[in-house]
Amino acid sequence: MSVLSNKIGKSYVMTSALISAAVVLLISITLLINSWDAITNVGWGLFSFNWNPSTQEFGILPMIYGTIAVTLIALVIAVPLGIFTAIFTSEILPTKYRLSIKSILELLAGIPSIIYGLIGIAFFSIWVQDIFDLQSGRTILTAGILLGIMILPTVITLTDDALQNVPSSYREASKGLGLYKYEVIKNSILPIAKSDIIGAILLAFGRALGETMAVMLVIGSIDKIPDSIFNWLNPGQTITSKLGREIAESSYGSTHFSTMIFMGLILFVFVLLLTFFAQKKLSHSNRLYE
Amino acid sequence: MHKRNFHTQIDFMNRQVYNKIFTGTSIIAVILCCIILFFLLGVIFWNGFSAISFDFIFSPSSNFGAEGGIIYQIAGSLLLVLVSGLISFPIALGAAIFKSEYIKSKRWSKISSMLIYGLNAIPSVIYGIFGLIFFVNFLGTGISWFVGSIILAIMILPTIIFSAYQSINSVPTSFRESSLALGFTKWQMIYKVLLPQGINGAITGLLIGLARAIGETAPIMFIATAFSGVELPGSLLEPVASLPTHILALAQQATNTDALENAWGASLILILLVISFSLSALFLRLKTKKH
Repeated sequence: MSVLSNKIGKSYVMTSALISAAVVLLISITLLINSWDAITNVGWGLFSFNWNPSTQEFGILPMIYGTIAVTLIALVIAVPLGIFTAIFTSEILPTKYRLSIKSILELLAGIPSIIYGLIGIAFFSIWVQDIFDLQSGRTILTAGILLGIMILPTVITLTDDALQNVPSSYREASKGLGLYKYEVIKNSILPIAKSDIIGAILLAFGRALGETMAVMLVIGSIDKIPDSIFNWLNPGQTITSKLGREIAESSYGSTHFSTMIFMGLILFVFVLLLTFFAQKKLSHSNRLYE
Repeated sequence: MHKRNFHTQIDFMNRQVYNKIFTGTSIIAVILCCIILFFLLGVIFWNGFSAISFDFIFSPSSNFGAEGGIIYQIAGSLLLVLVSGLISFPIALGAAIFKSEYIKSKRWSKISSMLIYGLNAIPSVIYGIFGLIFFVNFLGTGISWFVGSIILAIMILPTIIFSAYQSINSVPTSFRESSLALGFTKWQMIYKVLLPQGINGAITGLLIGLARAIGETAPIMFIATAFSGVELPGSLLEPVASLPTHILALAQQATNTDALENAWGASLILILLVISFSLSALFLRLKTKKH
């Protein structure tokens, strides 16, 4: 009996592990097969500037540009703000407040992205419209700002963890040398936590790339690169917002559909690569200080 | 001599100034973050509370969501995530046991971790298009709430695996050795010694996963939900209404103030559901830590 249960138990856990691994494989294969039509039929035409399914023009560069621009704005906002806030919560704030800060950050990180989108539509886009005197406040800049706020909790939490991983003996030793807090942080804590912080930024980068709902609602959804590429007060389109808006309208099996899946594949590969680099950065330092 | 003293004096003052600038910058950053935080929570709760009422929560929606309530959206969301939890939990628990107890080599352990991180990082909209291609079109299920549950189950898999793995793996090796020495088979050891210790971690992971799943829009909007005229599904292959997709539809008619007000109400209910799942996870974690 116990031999039998041993066998059943083993096959149960092995099946579960296999299912989990198979899912990753299945998703990759599904994306690859369905984007094949676009790769063979459209080929290099994918990397052009015009998107117009009715004339069989499938240039995805506007979406790639939009994705990069929005993510860049988000990182420019979230990284400095997040790192300085994490330095405050980890190095300046007394330890007894840490648990409540952590809980609040988790609460913020848990706000569903559709609600950020609603806030973006009801407030941010209207502010942008009024401040810059635009016809419509749904712009690349609006999406970038909203996205920056969304990834802020990720940056703060992970940077805070990175700083906390630095043993306190380093702080005490540098303080003992008569250094100011600024010098302690700059010269001994940040260099040690650097790798972890880079990992944190890469993870936040990955999250920003894949964010859909909030961006989709406020970016304006125009498949065009603005005349000047830094004119972020124009509407744009990201890969995710394109997928969210158009995938249901394109018919399964068409080149149009396949091109959309190809964009999904690019996003998928890029986010996975980022995650692996991030984990390398993170695990490296974990091994060092454990 | 005199000159050098003068320089140290300047250096000392510079150091002090840098220190002050630095502390000042941190404090400004924190204040900015607090403003953002209060703004977000303030907007959600203020607009939400003025929009909800007993009637709003317990009546069906009408006139494309601009009138009526959200009872079917709440029911649909709960149905989607609870079933996804039922699907995901046993698989995740098994995979976590496998990773903790059956993988011996460091290399495979690393590969399995990478798979979990990878699964966790995949953008939610990719899960949506995967579901659309594989289930809705390839397997021909059509728009179905059950497919939505399967996709959400895949999405929360890494969260549960990771949490369960950590708590199972943290059981001291001596427990394993002594139970094997008593003549337990490996499975008996897992079932009688590791599981009772590790189950809380798995349930914590499940609750965190559910908190994430219930707020997701992108994975289910093409494959599982319909906007108007949907009540409770009668079979596995019917669409369902859900809170996030309801908010999406209302947000797109943002010029209609009635629709917008109902969107705030639905958002508040959604956030309260998210918070209740995360708080349960937090309490469970604190309770486990105490033992």
